[in-house]
Amino acid sequence: MKNREMEQRLRHEAKTWLEEGKVDYVIGFEPGSLKFTTTPLITKDKDDIDRLVINPFMVNNLSVYLTEIKGRVGIVAKGCDSRSIISLIQDNQVVREDIIIMGIPCPGLIDLSKVELWLGRDRDELDDITRDGDRVVIMVDGKERNFSATEVLFDNCLSCEFPTPQEYDVLLGETSSLVADKIASRDKIKKLEGMTSEQRWEFWKGEFNRCLRCYACRSVCPSCFCKQCFVDESQPQWLLPVPRWQDNLMFQIIRNIHVAGRCTDCGECERICPVNIPLRSLTKKMYELVGDLFHYQAGMDKSAPPVLTAYEYTDAEDFIR
Amino acid sequence: MTRRGTVSPIIRMSTNIATTPAYMVELGSSIGSIYILDLAEVRVKQESEWEPKLLGFLCKWCSYAGADLAGTSRKKYPANIRIIKVPCSGRVDPLFILKALRLGFDGVLVSGCHPGECHYQTGNYRARRRIAITKKFLEYMGIDPQRIQASWVSASEGGKFAEVVAEVTKELKEIGANQLFADEK
Repeated sequence: MKNREMEQRLRHEAKTWLEEGKVDYVIGFEPGSLKFTTTPLITKDKDDIDRLVINPFMVNNLSVYLTEIKGRVGIVAKGCDSRSIISLIQDNQVVREDIIIMGIPCPGLIDLSKVELWLGRDRDELDDITRDGDRVVIMVDGKERNFSATEVLFDNCLSCEFPTPQEYDVLLGETSSLVADKIASRDKIKKLEGMTSEQRWEFWKGEFNRCLRCYACRSVCPSCFCKQCFVDESQPQWLLPVPRWQDNLMFQIIRNIHVAGRCTDCGECERICPVNIPLRSLTKKMYELVGDLFHYQAGMDKSAPPVLTAYEYTDAEDFIR
Repeated sequence: MTRRGTVSPIIRMSTNIATTPAYMVELGSSIGSIYILDLAEVRVKQESEWEPKLLGFLCKWCSYAGADLAGTSRKKYPANIRIIKVPCSGRVDPLFILKALRLGFDGVLVSGCHPGECHYQTGNYRARRRIAITKKFLEYMGIDPQRIQASWVSASEGGKFAEVVAEVTKELKEIGANQLFADEK
């Protein structure tokens, strides 16, 4: 099914939900104010529904809004988003019966900064970007430029294992085929693993020197749903709000441990970071560690307990004296 | 995941132990105020007779009693360990471990009951998962995994407690001082 047809179906369904009173809100994507962007649309008004779109630029993980909205919600979810929703259900943050999931088989999202890097041009100067199977066609200066999808998709999309939503009420279109490049998506982590521990620590020190502690990573993360974050506590004050690298680093390490087994590698934290800290090199590594140590994948089974509240008698303990 | 309404054991401890270095006492007595950790300076002063500082989180039912037994049965073990009594090894948040390293401890030891012997049935199993993930993740960040240690010590294992502390102290001496969070001069 083409995006256009999917859009029509989505609008039709969403309108019906609102009219029949099945949901109080609909959460989806509308065109953003800049070229090739989308912005979340949260609405109760069925006249807004015609603004809903489906395209390869709908990057946000909308499940982050579920914990804040009261009432029944119809939500548009890609593969990774649906796993975040399952993860929220596991943590008792969302009631499954209160949401209607519009599943979108996601063929991967286009990373505009990669496109800019390839073309050496600003995104405003591009005329059109279209996705066609494993090719991406970009119109610039009236000329057609052809790319393989693996060259311009987000890193986390390249390591995507489940492009089709794991949980949905309505699925738009067929199961999508996977365009993956597992090696490329793991490049940065592999490079870090090859370093000595001193080099790694120096690397992260340098990265977190830039951190502004804007907490955008925390705000955008569906797994960061604590009512009060440990960072904001004042008694005890675990770390200072002043953005020094020591505290920045400590914040991010603990944030990663808190979302271990919840993070579905949606890549939102890295995408949102205003100072381009490669946060996915942390979250993806944590994702892998949880898999290696506990044979667990986040957001796959809504009846399973969250991984760090559960245990197995057979868990490895070779590190314990 | 974050716990509310509790006073940090790390901060509480700093008023308990006479041997706590000056910078930690300062932190304890001025919660909320800005503190400056000048580890480098502390290290220069201590270089001649440097001894690793180990922070132990001991479960009240097993390991703490084990440490007690080590004392009453006159077992010798290095005085490098500072002990915080916790209700269960499952109480130890990875945040405590990192905070201790942030404050300049050279190593952290979490010790609880043997599997199957937890007073609360399952606390140590949960601790096991948390410590495993913390250790692996901090290793990836660039922190020597030797700095994060765990052991099972029951109330009757005073000898084992003394051995564990001796071994860990020896290993920490080999790795050297924790300069991870020190500012470069």
